[in-house]
Amino acid sequence: MDRDDASILDMVEDGVVVRDARGRVVGWNAGAQALYGFARDEALGRSIHDLLGTRHPLTVAEIERRLLADGAWEGEVARLAADGRALRVQVRWRVRRAADGAVRDVVEIGRDLGGLEREVREALETEHRYRNLFHATAASFWDLDFSGVRRMLEDLFNAGPVDPRAYFAANPDFLRAAIDSTRVVDVNDKTLEMFGVARGDLVGASIGPFWPEASQGVFAASLMAAIANRPNFVAETVLSRADGAPLEALLTVAWPTQNKGRGTVLVGVIDISEQAAARRALEKAQADLAHAARVAMLGELTASIAHEVNQPLAAIVTNGEAGLRWLGRAEPDVGEARVLNTRMVADARRAADIIARIRQMAQRGEPRREPIVIPELVAEAAQFLGHEIQGRGASLVLDLPPGLPLVTGDRTQLQQVVVNLAMNALQAMAAADSVRRQVTLRAAALGEGLVRVDVEDTGPGIPAAALPHLFDSFFTTRATGMGMGLSICRSIVEAHGGSIEARNVQDGGAIVGFTVPAGDVGGDDRLAGDPCAS
Amino acid sequence: MASPARIAIIDDDTSLREALIALVRSIGHVGTGHGSAEAFLESGEAQAADCLITDIRLPGLSGVDLALQLRAAAMGPPVVIITARTETALLAKAAQSGALCVLRKPFAADDLLDCLERALAGR
Repeated sequence: MDRDDASILDMVEDGVVVRDARGRVVGWNAGAQALYGFARDEALGRSIHDLLGTRHPLTVAEIERRLLADGAWEGEVARLAADGRALRVQVRWRVRRAADGAVRDVVEIGRDLGGLEREVREALETEHRYRNLFHATAASFWDLDFSGVRRMLEDLFNAGPVDPRAYFAANPDFLRAAIDSTRVVDVNDKTLEMFGVARGDLVGASIGPFWPEASQGVFAASLMAAIANRPNFVAETVLSRADGAPLEALLTVAWPTQNKGRGTVLVGVIDISEQAAARRALEKAQADLAHAARVAMLGELTASIAHEVNQPLAAIVTNGEAGLRWLGRAEPDVGEARVLNTRMVADARRAADIIARIRQMAQRGEPRREPIVIPELVAEAAQFLGHEIQGRGASLVLDLPPGLPLVTGDRTQLQQVVVNLAMNALQAMAAADSVRRQVTLRAAALGEGLVRVDVEDTGPGIPAAALPHLFDSFFTTRATGMGMGLSICRSIVEAHGGSIEARNVQDGGAIVGFTVPAGDVGGDDRLAGDPCAS
Repeated sequence: MASPARIAIIDDDTSLREALIALVRSIGHVGTGHGSAEAFLESGEAQAADCLITDIRLPGLSGVDLALQLRAAAMGPPVVIITARTETALLAKAAQSGALCVLRKPFAADDLLDCLERALAGR
């Protein structure tokens, strides 16, 4: 190689090495010096493979043989730099021959693969971290093949414009098929423990058995999130263990962007059974406490009313008895009896005054008179009930047609009536352990300017003997009830100029509903705002 | 009935006090009315009365405490307690105060008169 060639080769960044037929280095450019760390003088004349410790899985002798046979070879070799660093070098070898066909030399162009190797190593580390996360956490992870669901959705959308939310709601079978078509690619060890299943039974199988019918709505919601292109979806739901036991779970669904094409999703499941049970116990304790406080307050109120009223009653009875004795004498003393009679009248008046004073105390100021859109009021009440309904495994149906006439009255009081009636329905269904638990809140316009609200349940119905007394004070069919709820409801409805009734439905369940006049109806001012009036 | 007995009546409720005086008068006894235990003690009726009918809840000293004091001093007439209170513990305390009877308002006149008869039997 002459000097001109060498200076040209120095302009190439790759390591260019020329070796003779016996493998001794005869050319070494600046790129080779940078790559391997040997100066030209150190390299020239040395055997290239000795100098750089060339290694290849097929052995160096083999790749040399192929080079000679084909006239060229390229591939990856392992080498050592002057400072001992391990290198991976992508080399291209070409044989140059003399006119007689004998090998003159071999030109090698080498490129450092170290940079690429770093990326691969980082990728491996990321993968390793991910595997660690996947396996060594308290959460259950599922890698799911979602491609079947994607195909079902594509077919659905290709068939024509469709509102997915409405479609999912109307087609539970579609959701079930989608759930069944979702297959398990991989799960972590925690999943096996949490769901009580063996890996061999899970990988490749459908998630169907783990996704109960009652939780299909959450699956639909996750599909909605996928359709809306949201990166993830989080919800609380109930899944099934392999033995069928319910598992209260915090569910996280993530669609990794790189995997979108493959159609896999990563689902995380955290067992929140204990937290949910603790929360329910706390809520029950709070409800019991509130009930106990109400009972205690009412007990105190009753005692003080009883004391106040007993005083004049005792005087009346005593005066009456004394009067009877004056009249019962051999010579009746009408004068004494008249005096006692006059006192009795005064004491009876005093008792009536005490009652009036207590009623005044119980009045919570003037009742409000505001226009009320009944369907809005019922929908709001339904929101208050949301947790109770879920907690008792019931479902809620709202039948609230638009365009009902306005009602004038106290919004809070009427809402209390709706909530109270619905709570009664929920408690009745829970107490009877009803299999189907549905509460329907229905509003309707009646003729003659009336608006009706019905609360219907699928419980055991109201015992025939209880029906006539249902709205009486202190009447209750529940062991812990105060028997005040329905009587207060009746007072409120009557204060709005309306009426309240209860009846049983033919095939089980009860309807308790009230009718109030539409428009600006004054109602009964004497009763208004005074739940104790009845 | 022999001679009229003297019955002291303590109740801060005027109309019931007057009614009780009228009742004992209707069976031939004499009733004296007092608005409080203190007024009763000042009146000297503790020595004069043949029987005491007292309410529990009074301004100042309560009817039960009065009965206990009279018993401790080994003086005063037999005591009949009448009350509109319903607390079990209070009624039990009243029963242990040495009172002859504890009656809940409104009481039947016959029950009170039976008590009175027993109180006056040892006269």
